[in-house]
Amino acid sequence: MSEQMRESLSAMMDDEAQELELQRVLSRIEDDGELRQTWVRYSAVRTVLSGQQVACPGRDISGAVRLALSSEADGHAKTAVNGIRERVLRPLASFAVAASVAATVVIGGQQLARISGAGPDSGDRVLAGTASPVGMVNSLGATSVQASFGTQAVPVLQPATRTAYRELARQRMEKYMQEHAEHAALNSPQGLVPFARVAEIRE
Amino acid sequence: MSNAVQMTGRSKRRWLLSFSLIPGAKIAAIFMFAVSGAGAATCPDADPQALVWLEKMSDSLRRVNYHGVVTLQRGDDMQVMQVSHTVVDGSSYERLTELTGQGARVVRTGHPLDCVHPGHKLLRASTDLQAGRCGIAEQYRFSVGDGERVAGRQAVRVRIEPRDMYRFGYVLELDRETGLLLKAETVGRGDERLEKFQFADLSFTDSGQDAADVNLVHEAMHPHPEESQAGNGVGQSWRIGWVPKGFVTTDGARDDAGRKTFTDGLAVFSVFLEELAREIRPGEGVVRNGSTTSYTRGLQLATRPVLVTVIGEVPVNTARMVADSIAWVP
Repeated sequence: MSEQMRESLSAMMDDEAQELELQRVLSRIEDDGELRQTWVRYSAVRTVLSGQQVACPGRDISGAVRLALSSEADGHAKTAVNGIRERVLRPLASFAVAASVAATVVIGGQQLARISGAGPDSGDRVLAGTASPVGMVNSLGATSVQASFGTQAVPVLQPATRTAYRELARQRMEKYMQEHAEHAALNSPQGLVPFARVAEIRE
Repeated sequence: MSNAVQMTGRSKRRWLLSFSLIPGAKIAAIFMFAVSGAGAATCPDADPQALVWLEKMSDSLRRVNYHGVVTLQRGDDMQVMQVSHTVVDGSSYERLTELTGQGARVVRTGHPLDCVHPGHKLLRASTDLQAGRCGIAEQYRFSVGDGERVAGRQAVRVRIEPRDMYRFGYVLELDRETGLLLKAETVGRGDERLEKFQFADLSFTDSGQDAADVNLVHEAMHPHPEESQAGNGVGQSWRIGWVPKGFVTTDGARDDAGRKTFTDGLAVFSVFLEELAREIRPGEGVVRNGSTTSYTRGLQLATRPVLVTVIGEVPVNTARMVADSIAWVP
């Protein structure tokens, strides 16, 4: 996947894409597995950011994509592309969101408790062989499902999934913010002020 | 239409309302180009006046003696702190004492004035321009105007607009006399103000009164800009395949270090890699606090489960794309 494609996709997720970019992404998505997967990941972030609930998990995307692509092929490029936003992108996006949930790690309440209950030493680097700070899926009995585009039904997963990853991001911020600030303080124009962004400064 | 043109179009649309060119600055820019020759012609809309101020700001942060009280607003949270900076025998002594919250103190002692870290090198934009390099002006559009009064000082306002979607915008107020940064607002998409830093009180003397009750003192680290650091590694070299244009590494972190940090002179982000002992199903999470984004991604990196975290003062799309580009070095 080219960087240009990556940028177009990122813009699309931000609702900033221009018609040509939409067209470009849609025309490549069938052939480019990496592009599809990136789409799924970006959608997941978008969902996380907007706090949306996931809708229509079993929706088949492929028909919508083909519809869009065939309209283009028919030479109605202009109208088709204009209509893409309304007719295709929304359902497409919501499917991608659903699919992305399948690709998202499942961390249940039990593991979350373990994460939250970690002691002050949890800031140490994780070494192979020690207990992982990341809640693992095994004990939850959740089924591993590959992200796919409409060929299989996607199981509805618990909202705890999203919450768990957000919690992980929050903990990593807490853990790494000071180390980041050490560098920000020397490489940005505010002197030591980046340290004031650290919730709890450690000696 | 080339992608570059599209990007510019998008960036303009986003920022047009808040950032308009100041006529005076534009005229100054045209005049400067007329006299500065072929080198500058490669950066057609770089504002030399703004770049001079930027360089002055970076310089004054190192050379000027000052102490004062600073507020830092992030979201609903406001921190108040004392800062001081003193130069003795070619070395600077810095101190930040939190007056709210944790009550911690951070000190940096004996930092040689001629030790210029990569972020500040990038702020030497005026020198770059004279040497025919666009430098930071390739990543941001700058304009200068009259500032407000901050902590009793007359300020010059420098508006900084990103040229792509991978960084935030800034409105800086610099002391008209010394160039010291008096106030800085970090502006995100939709003109959202993500962070505001501001001097409430400022004196240009050696040291201030210091009666604050300090709970903890932290000596700031000094990661060398070039030499590699000791410390924990992840056991194998890894690389980041993509960072936004203009970002450079801040230190000589080893290829297998657990952290790599990048700066474009104004924004800084760090990438942390943890190898996990057990398998993780792919997924990601984001938390934002003020201008800081923390983005964590669990993935399999060539069959090895890892957790990648990008933390920094950059938009989430930047963090996401950086995390996307990580690979082991065979």
